[in-house]
Amino acid sequence: MEKEINKVTLPQIAATFFMIGATGFGGGMAIVALVERRCVLEKKWLNHDEFMHGLAFGQILGPFSLNISTFVGYYLRGSVGGILAAASFIAPSFLLVSALSYLYFRFHEVPELKSALLGSNPIVIALIVVAGIGMAKRKAAGLETAAVAAAAFAASALFGVSALTVLILAGCWGLWKGWFAGRVR
Amino acid sequence: MAGILKLCWIFLKIGVIFFGGGYVLIPLLHRIMVDQLHWLTLQEFLDGVALSQLTPGPLAMLATFSGYKAAGFLGALAATVCIFLPCTALMLLISSRYERFRRIEAVNHFLDGILPAVVGLVFAAAFNLGRTSLASTRDFILLGAGFAVLQFTAIAPMAVILGAAVVGLLLHFS
Repeated sequence: MEKEINKVTLPQIAATFFMIGATGFGGGMAIVALVERRCVLEKKWLNHDEFMHGLAFGQILGPFSLNISTFVGYYLRGSVGGILAAASFIAPSFLLVSALSYLYFRFHEVPELKSALLGSNPIVIALIVVAGIGMAKRKAAGLETAAVAAAAFAASALFGVSALTVLILAGCWGLWKGWFAGRVR
Repeated sequence: MAGILKLCWIFLKIGVIFFGGGYVLIPLLHRIMVDQLHWLTLQEFLDGVALSQLTPGPLAMLATFSGYKAAGFLGALAATVCIFLPCTALMLLISSRYERFRRIEAVNHFLDGILPAVVGLVFAAAFNLGRTSLASTRDFILLGAGFAVLQFTAIAPMAVILGAAVVGLLLHFS
């Protein structure tokens, strides 16, 4: 590739993604928006189309926020850049969760903490429901996809089928559908 | 050491199967950590979800929490590295040849099939967790209030969780 030589250094990548990882509260799409603002709009490290491609692939496996960091890092400085961006992004959260885990497992017998956590319990479930609704609007809006979602729900919630089995079956259904559509056309 | 290796293996496997953004981890980890391995109790699992939401990182930080419970700080580190290894490796691979990868239709079809199922699994996770952990009327009121706030306002989940923790504290001690 005959591209303008990238002037972005590894420490710059590390510092940028560490900051995003430390300040990007809101998670998921909020992080993606933050990466876009920092790297595309402010620093112009890559253009918007390239960023969108990275985002599309980031939906395959794992969290978008981490994947988009890996993608931008790779784009700038190859594999080392990708791994560095990913690690820098995760580092602040990792340290925070480790510290909170330490406190939690050490002190969760404290009655005050216990009742505080009982209060947050239902919120966690509400959060999952809200996430589900958001995803449903984007990914299960049609009749057929809604039916797949409903079947997956029933299999997992009512019949105890493992999540992995459900995902593989759904993937095969997608493949079959694609193959069938190809034949009809 | 054997314990850490087993932990790595478990989280690598989980890392290979978390499609579609992260929420699918809730049903997966719930089943594996609580039902199968008994590394976490249901209560600890829910608290772990709450703690992982207090950070900017993805929900997958739940792996850090689970790893910490299983084997201390080293376990937390091993779990975090292993759960993110597969998606980071895949992302590097795709990034290096993304033009070509974009044209493989089978990949798109497979994903088209999987994503709606992820939605179903996420609701199933909420259903399973709710069935076992929501007991009193107060829990359901908090659930409804939390849902309304998270769905209809732009208040960050972190703030809502902290707010609910304060409510929990007041309800039990006043």
